[in-house]
Amino acid sequence: MMGSLRRIGAVAGNTFLEAVRQKVFAVLLVFGLVLIYGANYFTEFSFQEQFKFLKDLGYAAISLTGLLVGLLGATQLIPGEIERRTILTALCRPLRRWEFIVGKYLGLSILLSVMIGVMAVAVAGVLGWKEAQLIAREGSDPAVAALIRAEARDPRLIQAVVLLEVKLAVVAAIAVFFSTVATSTTFVMAMTLMVYLIGHLQSVAREQWLESGEVASWAAKFFLAGVAFLVPDFNLYNLIDEIVAGNAVSWRSTLEVVGYSGVYIAVLLTAASVVFEGRDI
Amino acid sequence: MGWFRGRVLALEGLDMEVHRGEVFGLLGPNGSGKSTAMKMILGLLRPTRGRAEVCGYRAGTIAARRQIGFLPENPYFPNFLSGAELVRYYGRLSGMGGRVLEKRIQELLEMVRLGGEAGKRPLRTYSKGMLQRAGLAGAMVGDPEILMLDEPTAGVDPAGSREIRDLILELRQRGKTVIFSSHLLEQVEDVADRVIILHRGQKLREGRLDDLLTRKKEWEVNVQGLKEEDRKELRGWLEKRGVQVVREGAPRERLEDYFLRSLPEEKRR
Amino acid sequence: MTQSQRKATYGFTGPTAVAIREKLGQGLALAALGGFRGLAANALMLQAHGAWEEQQWVRVRSSLELATLLQPRVAVFWDTASWHLAWNAAVAAERYSGEPSETRRRLEARRWVEAGRSLLERGTKAVPERALLFQRLGDLYWQRLEDYQAAADCYRQAIAKGDAPSYLERFVGYALDKAGDKRGALAYFRELRAQMGTPPNPERRPEVVDREILKLEKELAGQASAKKK
Repeated sequence: MMGSLRRIGAVAGNTFLEAVRQKVFAVLLVFGLVLIYGANYFTEFSFQEQFKFLKDLGYAAISLTGLLVGLLGATQLIPGEIERRTILTALCRPLRRWEFIVGKYLGLSILLSVMIGVMAVAVAGVLGWKEAQLIAREGSDPAVAALIRAEARDPRLIQAVVLLEVKLAVVAAIAVFFSTVATSTTFVMAMTLMVYLIGHLQSVAREQWLESGEVASWAAKFFLAGVAFLVPDFNLYNLIDEIVAGNAVSWRSTLEVVGYSGVYIAVLLTAASVVFEGRDI
Repeated sequence: MGWFRGRVLALEGLDMEVHRGEVFGLLGPNGSGKSTAMKMILGLLRPTRGRAEVCGYRAGTIAARRQIGFLPENPYFPNFLSGAELVRYYGRLSGMGGRVLEKRIQELLEMVRLGGEAGKRPLRTYSKGMLQRAGLAGAMVGDPEILMLDEPTAGVDPAGSREIRDLILELRQRGKTVIFSSHLLEQVEDVADRVIILHRGQKLREGRLDDLLTRKKEWEVNVQGLKEEDRKELRGWLEKRGVQVVREGAPRERLEDYFLRSLPEEKRR
Repeated sequence: MTQSQRKATYGFTGPTAVAIREKLGQGLALAALGGFRGLAANALMLQAHGAWEEQQWVRVRSSLELATLLQPRVAVFWDTASWHLAWNAAVAAERYSGEPSETRRRLEARRWVEAGRSLLERGTKAVPERALLFQRLGDLYWQRLEDYQAAADCYRQAIAKGDAPSYLERFVGYALDKAGDKRGALAYFRELRAQMGTPPNPERRPEVVDREILKLEKELAGQASAKKK
């Protein structure tokens, strides 16, 4: 058991180190600039709208950056290593294949977590800056000032960050799964993006086909049920939108989504390990 | 092969045995199946039929892989690591850690002459020979019984090749078994005890080098100081006794030896 | 919310993927369907803002309705949308120099106010747990439709949510007063004052409530004596 953990830790640490030394974090600079630009963009709107725009922008930027890093990172994990042939010297060690997969995924997840954490702190910083700006401009009425502060320092934003992290962790797991099946990095990215889109669309499709009152064919129902089973429902993460809208979201709902995501990640990694076990290198 | 590509028979009917403590050479031109054989022993490829065992364990199992240290052909290492970090990574993958691992890293780097500052530089600054030596250190970190080297001197200059060959001989001295493949035949000749010759996936020959290469019907004597007129007499003496002179003349030195002799002392290393 | 729930609530079905793609154009549709609904909705609000500056009221309305469709749970969208329709567009219609008939101008303005009202009604169903939209609906009834009884009802509903500003509780009484229901207003203020307890929370301005009670008592007494005469 300890041996397993040590080996997984070695793979994870190496994956993380590679990303750091390849200056992946430089992308955060772009992110920071986007945020700062956005912070000054909507100043003619009400302060609630300004905060909403800023939070949406911040979380969308985190999402997009995380998606990019997660996708590119995952394609490097296995197809990239096979192309560069660095995988041979790792897999010939007394290292089980599933340990390699889990370690690679863990390294990528830790990288994503660190990046998301840094970006979330940046968002909080910009919100604080906005708070100061708005209080200087409109905060003479203490009631208004209190509302502005409440928008900027909403503790539910932590839940939003947790949901974002977990969503990106699922995307990374999907990419890892495809990277054990495919040989081409382009294929991995394309398939992962497709599943991502389907994951968002499936609830819309389900509503359209199953509940709009139209008569859906047996085949359509079966197909949609299959999709619902295989593809995670990314609309669950719209709790983030609820938080940004200022509506109450319980920790319980958040943790349920975290649990759901955990199950998907476990299934995906298991499937990836099974596929990789039988793969000739 | 991939999903939609045709299948290729890379190896057929290979029957091979390597004894403990010997240096075993896998010979053959490109595409003969040397790398395939090595990968099957390592469990990176699975044979469609047949069986391989390593020190009594089925090939590809964790126990079998513990016995082997592998250096692939033209290896690409994670070039963001330094030499020492590479060996540390492979050590951890082999289940080692702590001070034991650190000590082993220093020993190995000294052995392959990458100790000190050289070991701290990133791998992307290494020459080909240095990369091979770093890879060798990585392969040996778990103190395996068997070293498998796929084309270890490919792309390395003669001085570097000689170093690698010296290392192989040293490993044999220490009781290790070395299996290596090469298509540079003179280099194999220097170190191997036994060889197998493959061609298009099939075994052509196998045996001890001495047995395979010795022209048993011939005898070679190198002399110095034999005058021109005495040469004739010697030839005559031999022919009288029914001995056929197959070849005569001044022996040629190997180009590699000549090359190395020509370099200044410090460049030979 | 499922399609059928949306139909039951708003009286229309929500956006399908096809509808979104048609109405939003490719870029926004991709963003909306790809999980960046917030950004797409914000872009629509920006569009509405731009259209407002150019006084293009039809575009204002369509952008706002689409934004609220994409993100029905954002109260501030409904709030802004109703403001643009029931206030800005309506006032612009009233003052529109291109229409000589005052009656027609007033009718047009009224149409915009009704559009704002119906939008806000939908908003209160989409975000039923917060006071904001009920309060805004009350403001709309008061300021744009002069239906003070309805305003009072809306303010009551807002207060029941628990997150209404404290001054709103007095506005119920003011609305009742303005609607002509002085007895109702008095009863309300007395009940309110009694609820404040001893000592009352100064933020609830008990002195203002006391003043209103006195004023209403005087007015009702004056009315009663006028009747006797």
